[in-house]
Amino acid sequence: MRVILETKERKKPFLPIEAETIIPSNFLKGPELTVYEGNKERLLSDLFTIVVEGTAVSPDKVEVVLKGDTARIKRVGEYMATGTIRIQGDIGMHCGNFMSGGVIEIGGNADAWLGREMLGGSIICHGNAGHYCASGYRGEKHGMRGGRVEVMGNAGDFCSEYLTGGEVHIHGNCGDMAGVEMKGGQLIIEGDATRPCGNMKDGMCMIFGTVHRILPTFEKIDTKKLPDRNVTVTVYKGDVANRGKGTLMIQKPHNEGDQHPANTLPGPATT
Amino acid sequence: MIIKDVVCPFCGCLCDDLDVEVDGQKIIKVQNGCTLAEATLTGNNRLPAPIRRTANGWEEISYDDAIRETADILCAADRPLLYGWSSTHGEAQSIGVHIAELIGAVIDNTSVVCHGPSILAIQEVGHPGCTLGQVKNRADVIVYWGCNPTEAHPRHMSRYTTFATGFFVPEAQKDRTVIVVDTRRTESAEIADEFIRIERGGDYEVLSALRAIVRGKGSILPREIAGVAREQLFRVAEICMKAKFGAIFFGLGLTMSNGKYKNVRNAIELTDELNRHTKFTISPLRGHGNVYGSNEVFTWITGYPYAVDFARGIAFYNPGETTAVDILRWGECDAALIVASDPGAHFPHAAAAHLAKIPTILIDPHRTATTPLCRLQIPCTMAGIDAEGTAYRMDGVPIRYKKLIESLYPDDADLLRRIHDRIREVQGA
Repeated sequence: MRVILETKERKKPFLPIEAETIIPSNFLKGPELTVYEGNKERLLSDLFTIVVEGTAVSPDKVEVVLKGDTARIKRVGEYMATGTIRIQGDIGMHCGNFMSGGVIEIGGNADAWLGREMLGGSIICHGNAGHYCASGYRGEKHGMRGGRVEVMGNAGDFCSEYLTGGEVHIHGNCGDMAGVEMKGGQLIIEGDATRPCGNMKDGMCMIFGTVHRILPTFEKIDTKKLPDRNVTVTVYKGDVANRGKGTLMIQKPHNEGDQHPANTLPGPATT
Repeated sequence: MIIKDVVCPFCGCLCDDLDVEVDGQKIIKVQNGCTLAEATLTGNNRLPAPIRRTANGWEEISYDDAIRETADILCAADRPLLYGWSSTHGEAQSIGVHIAELIGAVIDNTSVVCHGPSILAIQEVGHPGCTLGQVKNRADVIVYWGCNPTEAHPRHMSRYTTFATGFFVPEAQKDRTVIVVDTRRTESAEIADEFIRIERGGDYEVLSALRAIVRGKGSILPREIAGVAREQLFRVAEICMKAKFGAIFFGLGLTMSNGKYKNVRNAIELTDELNRHTKFTISPLRGHGNVYGSNEVFTWITGYPYAVDFARGIAFYNPGETTAVDILRWGECDAALIVASDPGAHFPHAAAAHLAKIPTILIDPHRTATTPLCRLQIPCTMAGIDAEGTAYRMDGVPIRYKKLIESLYPDDADLLRRIHDRIREVQGA
């Protein structure tokens, strides 16, 4: 079954829509779901043109397609366990929160908290991801615990904060403090990063671009050749300000003159 | 008439030992206060009556009309924002939270532009803090990190730290070692026994390095960390570990520079490490007089200290998403009520500009930088001058504001109660 949701024109297009009901399993019972637009509860059909093609007997056979102005729609795919969601353009915050299975594919950019506290399944974002990609909720001790997040563009600050399990793969650059408080899992950054893995307790982070301002509490222990990439990386253990059991591999370590160029930092997260 | 033991409502110190001379409805003299206290208590830029913006400028309107219009605007909004609260008393703050729940609004306080990141850090790793009385009587090592109390909290050093005599530190300055950490040599740094000058944005690295030294892992550190010589950090760590009782105070230099709450978390974890060797505490130097009170009141009622979103009838909290600056910056909200704060002066341009695009109502005794952004301003009493109420000092101690003079202005709690009642009327409750 294929459910196509195309946004309708809205009187107040800046209002956020909270749409955790948009998960494949909910459409087995029909498309008459509700979402919140600001502080008003609306029928899905008030905000979207809905087209349903075919039928399905189980949620894993349901594909939801989102079209139109979707950048302010939050929580799509929250608690999703199976099935597929394809978003043609940008998507709002909290896409794939707590998801445990299924696939989310985002054609454009994803706003903050993409795949927050994800447990399983996979998210592919073809654009950029905002701050806190694959991280945890405020005050939570564990971030993403399983599954896979792949971002073809850049990610913002605090990417993979509290990463505990699963794999996060960023093909572009990361903002400030990627992998901060990491406890497990694997973070791969193909581009540049600034101050990665602060307070890291465990897990592994590999960075193949330039690392700006590597923290002074990471201890260089070895160099290693990665045969599948045919590159040599410098291996650090850290963060020794904490237990220091994490592994950080860097292909291009920073140089001395690059220690604190504050003007190279990306725009900070606002909180 | 001289009123003794008056509480200054300006900053988070809430100094409660002022003598104020009053002549009728005017404060004519302030003793024991700093220059900020004197300007606050004797200042006079009060708005005489409610005003409404028209095509031809401002017009005065009655309180009844202003209250009716405010309630109507808030009821019609799909995403109203209630912001401010930090320069009024707890009684008004609590009514604000009830209004937010009633209309499905986001309610936020000035923590978002000061110590909100400190709260996030405390929620992650706890708060090894204490009262200012403990610091005054016990602390022989004081660290001021990313703050300048000499200019921002002028009596902090004389009442509680450097220049204060305490039970276990009778010789005041002679018994205390003061360390100042900052990116520039401030007035406070001139008083310090040890000044650590950090490159801009390097706080996290220096805190991590200090933690590593205290854990006995300092040997891996490079010669210089964020512009600070490794030897100086070893020396400072030694001073801290040998202290009988140490106290760290931090300000916006830590909370509002890159890394934000992670800087504060690192400072808290340094404090935890130091507690393996001696007694150490850490506390934020709060800015607005009752900003701590707004965190307390919000938490009692909603479970969260700031940035509380009632859009769906339940309290949701996610700073970065439900914070006033972010909501305004994205142009999300379609009406705003500002109480006892001045976002026009403190918010980033994009956020303040959105206030001018939507119907914004300001409840504040003075003409401020927010006034030109508003559609409506309603003057009220000023907590601690012509209104009494409860406020919380920066260390969480509740202190009762005194009413020093009588005035014809309504208390903001009364105004808010009337707005609340009008909203219920409109909603047909």
